[in-house]
Amino acid sequence: MSDRDQPDRDEDHILAGEYALGLLSAEEAAAFEARMVRDPDLRAAYAQWATDFAAMTDEIAPQAPPAHVWQRIEAGLFPDARPRAGWMRRLALWGGGLAAAAVLVLALVTGGDWGAPPQAPAEALYRAEVAAEDRSLVVDAVYDAATGTLLIDRAAGAPAPGRALELWLIAGEAAPVSLGVLPEDRRGSIPVPDALRPRLPGAVLAVSDEPPGGSPTGAPTGDVLATGAVRDT
Amino acid sequence: MATRDDIERHILRAAQGDRTAFKALYDATSAKLLGVALRVLNDRAEAEDVLQEIYVKIWHNAARYNVNGLSPMTWLITIARNSAVDRLRKLRRAGTTDVLEDRIADTGAGPETQAIAASERRRLDACMEELAAPRAEAVRRAYLDGETYADLAARFDVPLNTMRTWLRRSLLKLKECLSR
Repeated sequence: MSDRDQPDRDEDHILAGEYALGLLSAEEAAAFEARMVRDPDLRAAYAQWATDFAAMTDEIAPQAPPAHVWQRIEAGLFPDARPRAGWMRRLALWGGGLAAAAVLVLALVTGGDWGAPPQAPAEALYRAEVAAEDRSLVVDAVYDAATGTLLIDRAAGAPAPGRALELWLIAGEAAPVSLGVLPEDRRGSIPVPDALRPRLPGAVLAVSDEPPGGSPTGAPTGDVLATGAVRDT
Repeated sequence: MATRDDIERHILRAAQGDRTAFKALYDATSAKLLGVALRVLNDRAEAEDVLQEIYVKIWHNAARYNVNGLSPMTWLITIARNSAVDRLRKLRRAGTTDVLEDRIADTGAGPETQAIAASERRRLDACMEELAAPRAEAVRRAYLDGETYADLAARFDVPLNTMRTWLRRSLLKLKECLSR
């Protein structure tokens, strides 16, 4: 933010505070969110307000909820009560989050406020915005059919210290297939093996938190941080 | 009482699909979050209903917790507060709840309620005190009662634009004080 004027910085802090309080109109809030996607300072300003305002709840006394609240949560989230079936099941449980993310992607793409891809591929067939729901990690992936590579632009977020981000392709009901570890640099490319290229349309891309060098098991081992649907350009 | 580290560990495990950890998280935090929802909604049945929504959101979003930079309780409280405010505004739009109805008074806080570090709270309190009393009240009402600019303008009997100018100035003063 060092290249910005003080009044601009002040305005951003005020806006972030209004956003945290829920005082912005729907349009203003959407515009603010779109800016947060690309501005880590703005995200930090929001996080600071969220922390400061949350201190107002400190004097609120706890109220023990009745037992039926948990029973309903459990019945809603785990209707089968089977042992967890692992990663794909969790993905299915994220229906709401994925839908919300998809709406955001659509809003950003159709709003014309979407940053240009890192390189302009001659044949950009598909693209996906792989994003965390809170926009703390946003990876734009554009498939260039001419070279069979995904052009990667990590617009927001970074691997945790000593960790790597790994990109996964999930086609239909199939298990996630690794596309490789994301480049350390914000921008780079990941080749897509011939056999996987036909699976891209309609697939979901996901990014997980993994040890350096990627998952040792061939399946995601860490948290899935971001997801996004592959769309036609 | 669960420590910050306990709560964080529960969230991280829940993110990996660990239902036992999720239940432990619920046991450690649901009373606080119900307190927050009840403070906003002032209606026990609505607050309990929103609490259910809150934990469904927490389960679905646990994997995104550790990348957003908030402390575990701040993250949970923000989800609870925002969910309760969304519900309150829906009820108001539906005409079920009086817009300017006064909320229940805060009850005294025991040490077990202090989920947020006391230093954070003192810092905020001190900075709120530097604002004129009505200005600080407006900020509190926006956060804890989900009041909009229109609600606040009606409450303080000023034009909406004036209300917005006031509140924006208050935020700037607060920010300056909080970052000292």
